[in-house]
Amino acid sequence: MIFVHAIGSYCAVIAFCIILCVPKKYLNLSGIVGAVGWLIYTWMTDHSFNEMLNMFLAALIVSVMSHIFARWKKAPVTLFLIPGLLPLVPGIGMYRMVYYFLLEDNGGSMASYYFVYTLQMAGMIAIAIFITDTFFKAFFRLKNTAAK
Amino acid sequence: MKSDSKKPEVIDYHLVADTAMLAGEMMLVAGAETYRVEDTISRILKTTNFARCDAFVVTTGIMLTLEDWQIGTISLNRRVGEKQTNLGNIEKINDISRKYCSGELTLKETFHQLKHMNSVSYPDWLTYIALVLCSSCFAVILGGTATEFWVAGFNGLFIVLGRMINKKLKLNSFVLNLFTSYLIAFSSFFFQSTVFPKLLLEPLIAGSVMVLLPGMAMTTGIRDTLEGDFMSGSARMIEAFVIAASIAVGIGVGLSSCSAFFSFF
Repeated sequence: MIFVHAIGSYCAVIAFCIILCVPKKYLNLSGIVGAVGWLIYTWMTDHSFNEMLNMFLAALIVSVMSHIFARWKKAPVTLFLIPGLLPLVPGIGMYRMVYYFLLEDNGGSMASYYFVYTLQMAGMIAIAIFITDTFFKAFFRLKNTAAK
Repeated sequence: MKSDSKKPEVIDYHLVADTAMLAGEMMLVAGAETYRVEDTISRILKTTNFARCDAFVVTTGIMLTLEDWQIGTISLNRRVGEKQTNLGNIEKINDISRKYCSGELTLKETFHQLKHMNSVSYPDWLTYIALVLCSSCFAVILGGTATEFWVAGFNGLFIVLGRMINKKLKLNSFVLNLFTSYLIAFSSFFFQSTVFPKLLLEPLIAGSVMVLLPGMAMTTGIRDTLEGDFMSGSARMIEAFVIAASIAVGIGVGLSSCSAFFSFF
C-alpha cells in the first residue's frame, strides 16, 4: 500500500509540475519533495497522531526540503514548495464540507466541523511555511554576518 | 564632445529602468510573489548607484522610480493584467537578473535576453496528459482503487475541456472553475448511480478537483504576508478563498442536481 502511495504521489506531483511549467531538470526533485511529504502525512495518520500535528510536521518537512533543494540548485524556493505542498492541500475536507452542507439532512453541524477542519489544515500549512522561511532567513543572515 | 577613454561605460539609465520593469512584469505575469518581484527590480535599479531607487509592486501593477539630482527622475508605471502561472519563467528571469547584478551580463545583453527569452513550456498534448494523470493519481492516493483511477481520468478530460474553452473564450476564472467542478461532480455521481455502484465518491471528486485547488495562490499569499506585504498577501488569500468557493459551489450544484435528476426518474 505504501508503495502505491509513493508512486501515486510522485506521479501526481510531477504531472502538476508539468502543468505549472517547471523546467525538466527540477521535475524529479519536486516529485521527491511531494512524495516524501505525502508519505509522512499518511504514515502519521495511520498511526493516529493528532491530525493537526500530522499536517504541521508534513508541511514543515516539505518546506525544509524545498529550501534545501533551492539552495543546492540555486533556484527559487517556490519551484519546489508549490508542487510539494499540493498533496497536502485539504481538498477532501472541502469536499466533505460541501457534501454535508448540501446533501445530508441535518448535515449543518458536520459541514461546520469540516469547515473548521479545512481552515485548521490550511493554517497549519501556513504556520509551517512561516517558521521555515523565518528560520532559513535568520540562519543565512547569521552566517553572512559571521563571515564578515 | 570630447572622447574620453578613461570614462567608464556610459549607462543608459532609461534602459536600466526599462530592463527592471520588463523583468518585474514578466515575473509578475508568471505568478511570482510580489516581494520577490520588488526584490528583483530594486536589485537591478541599485546597479545605477542613484540616491533613490524605489519599486512598488502590487498583484496588478508595478511602479518604479529612479531619482538623481544630476540626471533627473525616471519613473515608470505599468498595469499587469492577465496572469499565466509559469514557475519555469520565474526561475529563468531570476537567473538572468542575478547574472546582470553580478556583472556577468551587460545591460544591453540583459535587456536582449529578457526580451527574447523563450518561455519555458511543454507542448499542449503533454499538459493535457498531465492534467488527466494528475486527477487519476490523486484519486488513488486519497483512498481510491483502480475503478476510481479510470473514472478520475475521465473527469480529468473535463478539466482539459475547460482549458480548451478558456483558450478560445477567455472566460472569467470563477465561472470556469464552477463549470469544470460542476461537470466533475455530475459525472462522478452519474457513474456511481449507473455503472459502478461501489464507486467511492469522496476520493474520486476530491482527487479530480485537486488540480483546480488554489494551492499556488495560498502559498504565495502566505509568503507575501510573511514578507510584510500585507496588501498583496491578503489579496492572494482572498483569491484563494474565491477559487475554493467557486469549486465548492460547482461540486455542490453538480451533486445535488444529479441526485435530483435520478430521484425524478
